[in-house]
Amino acid sequence: MASGTLVRLTSATPSALGVLRVIISGTFLVSVLGASFYDLARLPVTTLLPTGLMKLLPWRFYDRLFTPVGMVSLKLALVFSLSLSVAGFLTPVSTRTSALLVLFYQGLLRCFGHFNHDEMISIYFLIVLAFSPCADAFSIDSFLKTPARKPKFAYGYPILLMQSLMAWSYFSSALIKLRVSGLSYLSVDNLPTLAITQSLDNLHDAHFQLAFWLPAVRHYTSFMLALVLVWELVFPVAIFWKRSRWVILGFGIIFHVVTLFLLNFIFSYQLVMYVVFIDWRRVLMWFRKLRLSQATTANWNRLSVSS
Amino acid sequence: MSARATPPLNQTSISRQLRRKYFLLTLGFLLPLTWAFVRTRNLYPVASWNVMTQGGQLQQSCTYFVLRGETVSGEVIDIPAISVSNAMRSRNWGMVAAIARNESLKLPSPHPKNAELLTKAGATPLPEGVRMNDLLKAWGESYNSRHAASSPTHLKAIRLDAYQWPGHEYSNFRLFVQSWRQEL
Repeated sequence: MASGTLVRLTSATPSALGVLRVIISGTFLVSVLGASFYDLARLPVTTLLPTGLMKLLPWRFYDRLFTPVGMVSLKLALVFSLSLSVAGFLTPVSTRTSALLVLFYQGLLRCFGHFNHDEMISIYFLIVLAFSPCADAFSIDSFLKTPARKPKFAYGYPILLMQSLMAWSYFSSALIKLRVSGLSYLSVDNLPTLAITQSLDNLHDAHFQLAFWLPAVRHYTSFMLALVLVWELVFPVAIFWKRSRWVILGFGIIFHVVTLFLLNFIFSYQLVMYVVFIDWRRVLMWFRKLRLSQATTANWNRLSVSS
Repeated sequence: MSARATPPLNQTSISRQLRRKYFLLTLGFLLPLTWAFVRTRNLYPVASWNVMTQGGQLQQSCTYFVLRGETVSGEVIDIPAISVSNAMRSRNWGMVAAIARNESLKLPSPHPKNAELLTKAGATPLPEGVRMNDLLKAWGESYNSRHAASSPTHLKAIRLDAYQWPGHEYSNFRLFVQSWRQEL
């Protein structure tokens, strides 16, 4: 298994990292385009609770930012930088400004008193991309100028690091649950109570009422929680054992979709970031083969018609 | 003798530079994330994955909030918060809870307007959710910006109703606690 990981570390291609740059930056681009920054500008600055790094900025800065002009400027900067990043243009600069701007924007959203975890992994991935040669393929930069040859690990290591960060998010989550709650985490009332408390208001992502069915099946919910805990603990296996990915990532997709219906929130960014476990080298090879075979078939048909 | 050709100097230096960069990048993640894990503490952008670690506690009560609007046609409608503040997503829930607890007034260095409010209040304790009406005004304006003044769904007021589920049993979910209302 470990030797397989080392082989993959050295077999990753510039295209694989390039595709990941497009998807990860693209995810934030789509989300920023869909977000109403005018609504954000209306929120009262007096309710802000700057968190972590955001405490370094003075109140005067926030006063200026929480205006229509301030927020539209932030949105324009984000869209411009992320678009360049997706296109792979001026990448050494655009990937870094994207990481910095997204880090700031996501920090701002967490300054209202709620530190949620959904986008965190994607922010970390943007930082990894900012320090990786992610524009050596699949980019305008590589089209304009052939990039210098680099050792294979230059492309494989950032992917391995992103996979490790994703695995850490689940693995550490399971360990913290066991450390904080111990085996009482598996109590029959844990999930029904949690799900109901997330379903009473209308301030969540959705307003599903399935949680109210859980007390009727509460004795089975311990089994569900245990299953999730085991899944979180074994998630790192997906890095080393490629065949296990179908099961581990498949379970992850089901888990996150179920949280939407039971807990009324979904870790959509985290789900999209599963793309770091896809073997993009093979996918791209398959596409090339497909294109080649289509071209061959088209040529063959043309020849048949003409003869 | 080895048959392998020695890589050109610039290749070796590129390789060395990358190794150094990746080492620092890995360390840049490893150290803060380990700290956050050990301390079980989130310090943006360092995250400790302590999501739902305690799970639900049936024996504890839970206060929650429902956003509602009073339309010009006299109807009372539920307004999902995400429809007036989509960038915030599920964070709306935490934001309202923090405002209800007056968290922004408890900062060591509060916003100048909050500091002024605290000075004015002096020793008198502030009521819960002293900034809630500012939020409701913002949300009401956002909602009305999408519903023309001539529309029957245009709001004349917006309110946030707080309820409590006392816990202990899976019933009695709606004990009314209080309401904040803002004319628009």
